[in-house]
Amino acid sequence: MMKELKEISNKNPFKVPENYFDEVKRKIISSAAFYNSERKEKSLYRKLRPYIAVAASIAVLTVLSYTAIHILSTAKDKSVFPEITLNEFSDNYLNDIDILTLEESIGSIEPDVARIDINTKDIIDYLVLENIDINDIYEQL
Amino acid sequence: MGNNKPDSDIFELLNTDVNKGFRIVVERYSSKLYWHIRRLVILHEDADDALQNTFINAWRNIGNFRNESSIYTWLYAIATNESLAIINKRRKNTAVSLDDLGSFFANSHEGSTWFDGDEVQTKLQNAILQLPEKQRIVFNLKYFDDMTYKEMSKVLDTSVGALKASYHHAVKKIENIINND
Repeated sequence: MMKELKEISNKNPFKVPENYFDEVKRKIISSAAFYNSERKEKSLYRKLRPYIAVAASIAVLTVLSYTAIHILSTAKDKSVFPEITLNEFSDNYLNDIDILTLEESIGSIEPDVARIDINTKDIIDYLVLENIDINDIYEQL
Repeated sequence: MGNNKPDSDIFELLNTDVNKGFRIVVERYSSKLYWHIRRLVILHEDADDALQNTFINAWRNIGNFRNESSIYTWLYAIATNESLAIINKRRKNTAVSLDDLGSFFANSHEGSTWFDGDEVQTKLQNAILQLPEKQRIVFNLKYFDDMTYKEMSKVLDTSVGALKASYHHAVKKIENIINND
């Protein structure tokens, strides 16, 4: 029997514990209040933090500079970064990030988006929703 | 259905008495957001975590909210991201697969306690789980929350055209899965 989606009732099959919503609302409000009081207690620390951060940064930079100078003065003259193809980089990158992050990244690739008119962007958005590899999309453009 | 106009009281209150304004936001939106999250993460415990994270996140950023035009879409965007974070965390940490709800719910205590669907409902939920993650979100927001595409485009930062096409294809895929099962 062919079922169209609209024939299936909207009845909700998921259940919640009794009184769940009353309890969770109470928890949320008290978490917000707790967050407020925590912020007040930490205000002294917050005032000092920029100075601590600056001191720590200077210390780190000093160590790094010393290390860099030491390495540069003893290193042989060759590149330390292995050659990697764009495809290898893209494959590794895409394996490690999820699709929403990918969508956000698309927004920041300014030069490419500027070239593409609004209809193409619609198409790209749709293909990403269908889980098509963004690399494949750009290869086709 | 959009909720911009009914929220104008909250806008006012968030400027004059932010604590009271936030309490009203929680009162007005906790249930809707819970069910949106629950449909994505399936398990009650995970939905509970994501719901609380959503509101804490909202509370921390309530100052930034004043630049948004709609509490409704702002909250849904946060809730969606929290749901995806929970799903990704679960994927890395557990061997439990939720790809087949039917057997999961039949075989687990969690399932029998917190899922009460008939065969058709189970088939529908299983079919929805077969969709790519983002398309699932589009489908759920349209089918269960009756959200407009314009609102959805703010929630998901995706064009209306893409969302319409995605929903249309999601419906077809789900119908095929259900009818071929």
